[in-house]
Amino acid sequence: MNNMSPEVALHRISPELRPLLCSVVRNGRVGLDSTNCLRVTDLKTGCTSLTPGPCCDRFKLHIPYAGETLKWDIIFNARYPELPPDFIFGEDVEFLPEPSELPHLVQWDAGNPECLLQLVKELIQQYHHYQYQRLRESSRLLFEYDSLLEDPNYGRNMEIYAGRKNSWTGEFSARFLLKLPVDFSDIPVYLLKDTALDPGEDVALLSVSFEDAEATQVFPKLYLSPSIEHALGGSSALHIPAFPSGGCLIDYVPQVCQLLTNKVQYVIQGYHKRREYIAAFLSHFGTGMVEYDAEGFTKLTLLLMWKDFCFLVHVDLPLYFPRDQPTLTFQSVYHFTNSGQLYSQVQKSYPYSPRWDGNEMAKRAKAYFKSFIPQFQEGAFANGKL
Amino acid sequence: MAASISGYTFSSVCYHSANSNSDHEGFLLGEVRQEETVSISDTQISSAELIQVVEIHNHDPCAQLFSFYDYAGKINEESLNSILKDRRKSVIGWYRFRRNTQQQMSFREQIIHKQLTELLGVPDLVFLLFSFISTANSSTHALEYVLFRPNRSRFNQRITLTIPNLGNTSQQEYKVSSVPNTSLSYTQVIKEHGAEFFDKDGVMKDIRTIFQVYSALQDKVQAVCGEVEQSERVKEKIQEDVNKLKQQIALRKRKTAEEEKRLRESQNADSHSTPEENTEPSLASPLSRITFHTPSAPERPSTSPNPPSYADLLSQDDSLLSSSSPPTSAALLPRPQAVGSPGHPTPGPLGMALGLGLGLGTSSNPVTTPSTPYLGNGDGSSSDSLDRQAAGQEDDEDDEDDDEEEEDEDSSEYENLVSEAAHLPVGSASILAQGRPAALSPDGDARGSQTT
Repeated sequence: MNNMSPEVALHRISPELRPLLCSVVRNGRVGLDSTNCLRVTDLKTGCTSLTPGPCCDRFKLHIPYAGETLKWDIIFNARYPELPPDFIFGEDVEFLPEPSELPHLVQWDAGNPECLLQLVKELIQQYHHYQYQRLRESSRLLFEYDSLLEDPNYGRNMEIYAGRKNSWTGEFSARFLLKLPVDFSDIPVYLLKDTALDPGEDVALLSVSFEDAEATQVFPKLYLSPSIEHALGGSSALHIPAFPSGGCLIDYVPQVCQLLTNKVQYVIQGYHKRREYIAAFLSHFGTGMVEYDAEGFTKLTLLLMWKDFCFLVHVDLPLYFPRDQPTLTFQSVYHFTNSGQLYSQVQKSYPYSPRWDGNEMAKRAKAYFKSFIPQFQEGAFANGKL
Repeated sequence: MAASISGYTFSSVCYHSANSNSDHEGFLLGEVRQEETVSISDTQISSAELIQVVEIHNHDPCAQLFSFYDYAGKINEESLNSILKDRRKSVIGWYRFRRNTQQQMSFREQIIHKQLTELLGVPDLVFLLFSFISTANSSTHALEYVLFRPNRSRFNQRITLTIPNLGNTSQQEYKVSSVPNTSLSYTQVIKEHGAEFFDKDGVMKDIRTIFQVYSALQDKVQAVCGEVEQSERVKEKIQEDVNKLKQQIALRKRKTAEEEKRLRESQNADSHSTPEENTEPSLASPLSRITFHTPSAPERPSTSPNPPSYADLLSQDDSLLSSSSPPTSAALLPRPQAVGSPGHPTPGPLGMALGLGLGLGTSSNPVTTPSTPYLGNGDGSSSDSLDRQAAGQEDDEDDEDDDEEEEDEDSSEYENLVSEAAHLPVGSASILAQGRPAALSPDGDARGSQTT
């Protein structure tokens, strides 16, 4: 299957069908996993081979669903673009939705560019219903589903995939994909900006795979959209507790949710705390402030003088401030090290408590500077050269 | 379940499909038969196997898509009827053609199939899916076809579709398709011109003629068999006679040898005065016999009713094949009558040779004068004396035998011979002819070469 960029697909498709496909590839987000948009491959034509292009009218659509990718064939006829398409549902040979449940098929309007996208969404809904029917083979998993369904937090944002039975053991397997109702809106923007990818919607998905019908082998996994992952401190943020044996999703999912929420709160708080810290330093050191990170409030540089000795203090605030202590780096303005850098000393442990507020921290920092500077000065004179 | 489609229907469907610039669909008309095969194997006496055979006779293409169903896939029965009209009863399936897609029933096709099954009342409605795959540079195009019966279980849906005579016909013979031709024009033409080839029973006329020829040949063969049997029997009989005569000859020889011995001994015992007298009478007797023969030879034709019988013989000769006739007559003719024979060309000289005795050195035609041991080589050479004697004795013996055997008939030898000839069936002439030539070996081994 050749990976085709959306633009190439749009170029090759028959002009009359282009608007329909356009809305699918450009705006098409179906399902929970909206970071993966709909992909189009295998563009072929139903016209005779001597028809001049572009005349492609049939393609394969890749739809992410419950951790799987559905590959559905969509068949139009370029010569009759007003007719609705036909579908082949890949390996799901038993999936046969009722046409009456697909209003966009029954009242197909080729003039509406969104028609195909809407129809695909309706098909996905029917597919979800079909998977639910398959889930009924296992009462345990059905119970899981139903219990989650009742909770309004999770019920509406759940996709299930009742997979094929394992051909070796005959075991039934299923996967639940849940969107966690965690509010990421308060995460400071600066944290979310620095990603190479299109951030899209910020979402956290929990995927729980049941390898057997009795729920003895359960593998949970947390998926965060890239910006959130970055904002929360990288892949270490994805550590979640293991699924307790004999436990239920209805208990486990809120647990994970809480964990994630807490982390987000930490991050948010951290931001605010940092801001507060820097504000306090600003007010305490006033003119001594050289520069500070005004967006993320992660760094701060002060130029201070004590008994005619000038020195720089760089303060690095960690992500999980105030839990983690800021790093102080003292730097002499006069002395160089052998490698040509300014002589500096790093201080990671100094009197500190996370419970202090910004003001208190600034005051204590000031006191610490006073106590530490003589030491530093000596060191600078001793080890550095002018 | 097996399915077959005639080659022309298949190509017609392909033609319609390939010429459409979009997807194409239509109905398949035909019939479904139940075939029961009873097989006998070593382990079972008989096992009956019942298979359903679907035969596709014809197809009915739809002019456009969505012609009998709407966007939701619901079939409009009126449209269906207007498309199918009176062919509705012979619908056994439907087909669909789509390019560059998978060989799998699509969503709408499954919906339509279910409804068609109900509406048409065909429980095992089949679905033929054509798929046309082209390579990217349009150098190779593949037409794939799969026949489904979707109303069965999921795992047994595909049926093989056989197209008679599509394949490697260098290894197999061209098969007559079991799928009948339902075209009206075809049946009309066959009806009109069929009488030239078929008789009223529907059997080809040529077959009857050939059969008649065959029967005639068989009759002839049977007749010939009968003749062969008869001639074999006669041959057997003659062979027996010949053997008997041989024995008698041998006996007589011994007797004469003993008599001469006795005579000689007695003569020797009496005196040596008249040695010649002994021989003379002995010589005289055969000579006298011989001379007895010769004068009588000319007489025979005049006094006896031979001429008519001879004429009969001649007429028989005429009717026979030339190669065989001379031998028969030659077999008989060398008897003295040949001197005055009315002129049957070939035996004539032979007869002359005999009749005139042994001094003549006539040329004998070895080919046509197979018959006579009497001839020897007809040279009259001295070595023939014994032969002549033997011949003469044979004559006597034959005469005697004939006289003995056929007393009720005329005493004339010829009559006997002729009657014998008359008894001989036509076909046996060749056999006698075959026998005689052996007697004419230049070595004069007349006796030894008698046919057995």
